[in-house]
Amino acid sequence: MKKLHVIGIVIIAIAIGVIFISLKNTSTYADFSEAIANPEKEYHVVGKLDKTQPQLYDPKINADQFMFSLIDNKGISKQVVLHKSRPQDFEKSEQIVLIGKMEGNDFHANDILMKCPSKYNDGKPPMK
Amino acid sequence: MNDIQYTVERLWAGQLGNSFIVLSFVSAFLAFIAFYLSSKNSGYLKLARFAFNLHGFAVVGIAGTLFYMLFNHFFEYQYVWQHSNTEMDMKYILSCFWEGQEGSFLLWTFWNVVLGLLLKFQLKNGDWEVPVMTIFSLVQVFLASMLLGVYLFDYKVGTNPFLLLKEHAEYSHLPFVLAAKYESTARGLNPLLMNYWMTIHPPTLFLGFSSTLIPFAFAIGALWNKKYNDWQRIALPWTYFAILILGVGILMGGAWAYEALSFGGFWAWDPVENSSLVPWLVIVAAGHTMIINKNKGGSLFTTHFLSIGSFLLVLYSTFLTRSGVLGTSSVHAFTDLGMTGQLVIYVLAFIFITVALLINDKLFKVSYIVISFLLLFFGMLYGYKKIILMIWLGSSGIITFISYYLYFPKEKDEEELFSREFWMFLGALVFLLSGLIITYFTSIPVINKLFNTEFAPPKVQVYNTWMMPFAILVMILIAVSQFLKYKKTDPKKFLKRISYTFILALLFGTVCTVPLYFLTNSETKGIGTWDLISYSLLFITGLFAVLANLDYFLTVLKGKVSKSGAAIAHIGFALVLIGALVSTSKKVTLAKNISDKKLSSLGKDFDDRESILLTQGDTLPMGPYRVVYKGKKRIGINVFFTVDYLKLNKDNKPEYDFTLTPQIQDNPRMGQAAEPDTKHYLDRDIYTHITAADLNIDTLRKKDAFGSAKNYIGHVGDTIFSSNALVIIDSLRSNLSKAQYEKNDSLLEVTAILRCVNTQGQSFFARPKFIIQNNVIIPKDDTVNELGLKFAFWKINPDEGTIEITMSEKLANNKDFIVMKAFVFPYINVLWLGCIIMAIGTGIAIRERIRIFKVQS
Repeated sequence: MKKLHVIGIVIIAIAIGVIFISLKNTSTYADFSEAIANPEKEYHVVGKLDKTQPQLYDPKINADQFMFSLIDNKGISKQVVLHKSRPQDFEKSEQIVLIGKMEGNDFHANDILMKCPSKYNDGKPPMK
Repeated sequence: MNDIQYTVERLWAGQLGNSFIVLSFVSAFLAFIAFYLSSKNSGYLKLARFAFNLHGFAVVGIAGTLFYMLFNHFFEYQYVWQHSNTEMDMKYILSCFWEGQEGSFLLWTFWNVVLGLLLKFQLKNGDWEVPVMTIFSLVQVFLASMLLGVYLFDYKVGTNPFLLLKEHAEYSHLPFVLAAKYESTARGLNPLLMNYWMTIHPPTLFLGFSSTLIPFAFAIGALWNKKYNDWQRIALPWTYFAILILGVGILMGGAWAYEALSFGGFWAWDPVENSSLVPWLVIVAAGHTMIINKNKGGSLFTTHFLSIGSFLLVLYSTFLTRSGVLGTSSVHAFTDLGMTGQLVIYVLAFIFITVALLINDKLFKVSYIVISFLLLFFGMLYGYKKIILMIWLGSSGIITFISYYLYFPKEKDEEELFSREFWMFLGALVFLLSGLIITYFTSIPVINKLFNTEFAPPKVQVYNTWMMPFAILVMILIAVSQFLKYKKTDPKKFLKRISYTFILALLFGTVCTVPLYFLTNSETKGIGTWDLISYSLLFITGLFAVLANLDYFLTVLKGKVSKSGAAIAHIGFALVLIGALVSTSKKVTLAKNISDKKLSSLGKDFDDRESILLTQGDTLPMGPYRVVYKGKKRIGINVFFTVDYLKLNKDNKPEYDFTLTPQIQDNPRMGQAAEPDTKHYLDRDIYTHITAADLNIDTLRKKDAFGSAKNYIGHVGDTIFSSNALVIIDSLRSNLSKAQYEKNDSLLEVTAILRCVNTQGQSFFARPKFIIQNNVIIPKDDTVNELGLKFAFWKINPDEGTIEITMSEKLANNKDFIVMKAFVFPYINVLWLGCIIMAIGTGIAIRERIRIFKVQS
C-alpha cells in the first residue's frame, strides 16, 4: 500500500469524524418548548418581538442586559434576558434569532441576530 | 406595459445597453460553438476569434453604458435609481456600479473578457488556444445569460440592469414612479459601502475569481484532449496570479470589515468570507501540486482535481451568497433575486462537464450523459428534486474515482518519505481538507434544505478550534519542505539542517508563550487548557516557519531575491497566522461594566461584560485609561460620538492622550449601523464601537425645563426613585388638629415632608403642600434645586391612608449617555505586515515563473 493511500484514508476518516462530532455538538433551530425540555442545551430560537410585553433596558444598572419577550414560531411568548446591550433599531426587526438556553422561567441569550425589513434593502455589500 | 414616453426618459440608453447584452450573449455562444468546431476543423478558428473579440466589445459596451448612466444620473432606470443618487460623493460612483448583483456579475464577466483576450493572445496558434478558449466562451455564455432578464417558459433567466423603474415588478405601481419623480426618490449607495476599501476590494476579489477560471480551463481542456502533462507550465504563472489577487482581495475585505463594520475584528467566519477563502485554499493547493508536477512529474490527478475544484467552489460560493439560501446565517449575503435555480444549474452543469470528460470509455460516457439528462427531465417534470440531486451528485463522485482508477495515468514508483514532493503534496491535501471542512460548516443551511434538518450554523469558536490543527500542520510543512530536495534527500543531513531553527523557535516560542498564555489570564470566554496548548503550538510552529524560511533565504538562496518568492511568501503567510493568533487570543476587553450584578453564575457563556456606560461629562476608568464622553454631533446620516482618552502621567494626574470618534450610521437601508474607530499604535490597536446610544440631537432642550410629571401613590415611609436620588415620604404635617379639622372646613393645609437622598448620601428636603380652601384643592408645589426635582402633593385617600404626589425631573438630569465596547488588539500589525510580505513573495514567484516559462519556450 502506498503511503499516499494511507494518508487518503486518514483524510477521509478525519472528514467523516468532523461531520459526526460537529453534528453532535451543534445547536439546532428550535422553539421554546424544546428549549424548556432540554434546559442545558443551547438552541437557536427563531421568533418575533412580543410588542405587548414590556422591554427593559437600563444601562445604568447593567449595560449588557436587555430584557424583552419573544414569540416563537409556535406562538409561545417567553421573557428573554439578552446578555448584550440593546441592539440599535431593535423595534424595526422583523425576525429575531436568539442563541442561548432556558434558565428558570427566562430564556437567556448570549447572542442575537435580527432581520430587518427588506423591501428596499437590496443593497447589501457586494461580497462582504 | 406603459407605452407613454415621458420627456425625462432617455430610452436610447436602455436600448443600447440591451443591444450590448444580447450581442454579448450571442457572440459568446457563437465563440463557444466556433471554438468547439475548430477543434475538428481549423477553418472555424478565425470566426471563433472574431466572435470572442466581439463578445469582449459587447461586454465593455454594457459596462460603459451602465457607467455612463450612473455617472449622468439616469434615474428612470431601476439600477441607477437603486444604487446611486445625486447627494452622494461622486468618488464612490464606482461602488454603485458593483453594489447590485447585476453589476457584480458584470464585473466578473468583464474580468473574464480581459483575461480571455490576454490568454487568446498568449496561446495564439498553440495547442491550447482551442480547448482553453472553448471553456472560456462557455463560461461567458453562462455569465452573459445572468444579465439577460428574459423568461424562458416560466423560468426567469438573469436580471437585467437596464430595466426602467416603471417596468420593474416591485416598483412600477408605486406613486412616485407613476408620477415620474425619480431623482428625488433615488435610493443611493448603501452608505456602509462609502469606504475606499469598497472601491478596490470588489474588483480585486472578482479578478481573483476570474483568474481561477484559467487553471480550470486548462484542466478541462486537458481532460478533453487527454493531454494531461503539458499545460501546467503555461498555467503555473496564471495560477500564482490567481493566488495573489484572490488572496489580496480577501484580505482587503478583512481590512474593510475591521475598519467599517462592528464585528469586533477582521475575520468573523461569515459564510460570505468563507466562500471566498475556500477557493483560495484550493487554488493554493493546486499551485503546489503543479510545481510538483513540473519538477518531478506525477500528481496529475490531484492537480486536475484541485484546479477544477477551485473554480467549481467559486461557482458554489456564488450560489451560496446570491441565492438567499443562507438566510439568517449570514449578516451580509445578497438578497435573493430569484436566480437560485439558474445558479444551481450552472454549478451542476460544470460538474457534469467535468465528469463526462473524465470518462474515457464511449459507452460509459454516453450512458452517463443520457442518464444525467433523464434524471434532469424527471426532476423537472415529477419533482423529487432533492433525492435526484443527491443520487446524481453521489454517483458523479463515485464515477470520478472509478475513472481515475480506470483511465488516468498513474505513477509507477512511490514517493520517498524524505522528498520535497511528498511533503508538499501532503501540504496541498491539508489545504484541501481544511477547505472542505470550512465548506461543510458554511453549507449547513444547504444541508438543512436538502435533508430537512434544523442545524444552526456553527459559531466562530467552532471554526477556530477546527482550523487550529491544520494551521499548526501547515506551519510545520512550510518550515521543513524547502530543505528537502525533490526525489530523495539524506535524512540525517536534513534533520540536522532544520534542527537549528527548530530549537531556536522552540526556545523563543516557549519563552514567549508561557507568560502569554499560561501565566496571565486570557479573557476570551470558553478557553480551555487544550486551546492554550494549541495556541502555543501554533505560535512556536509559526515562528519555526518564519525562521526556517529566513534561514533558507539567507543561507541556501544566499539572499537572492528573484529566486526567493516561495520563501518570502511563506514567511508572510506564517506572519499572518501569528498576527491573527496573537491579536485574537490576547485581545483585551478594556470596557467592562462596573456594576456589581454577577452574571457569571449563569455559566461561562454569559460572563461577557464587554460594554461600558459613559454618561456625558463623567470620567470613568477603563483599562489603563480614563475616558470621557464629550458629546455627539451629526453630519449627514452619521452621528459621531467624541470620546476622550486620558492617561495618568508621572504625578498620577490624568492627562489628555487621544480622542476617538466611533460613529453610528443612521442607514436608511439597513437601519442603524455602528462603525468603529480605532487608535493605531505600532504594537497594538485600540478598537472601539458604540453598541447603544440615543441618536436624537436635542438642541432645543432647555436647561431649566422640567420633564412631564409622574404620579406616585404611597404611604408614609415609602420610597420613590428619581434618576438621581431616593425620595422617602418622611412624614405628613397638618396645620390643624383632628378636632379642628372636623369642625372647621374653611382651610386645611397638609405638608408632606419628603427626604431626598442623592447618590453621595446627602439629604435634601422638599415640602409640597396640600391645601383645601372652601372645598377647592390648591396644591402648592416645592422644588429641590440641588437635585432638579419638583413635587406636587395633590390628593389624600383617607380610606387607604395613602397620599398622591407627582414628581417631575429637570430635563438636564437625564444626561446623554453611550454604551461602548473597547478592545485592544495586540500586534495586529504583524498580520497586515504578513499580508504585504506574502503578496510581495507571491509577486516575485510569478515573475520568476514567467521568466522560466519564457526560457523554456
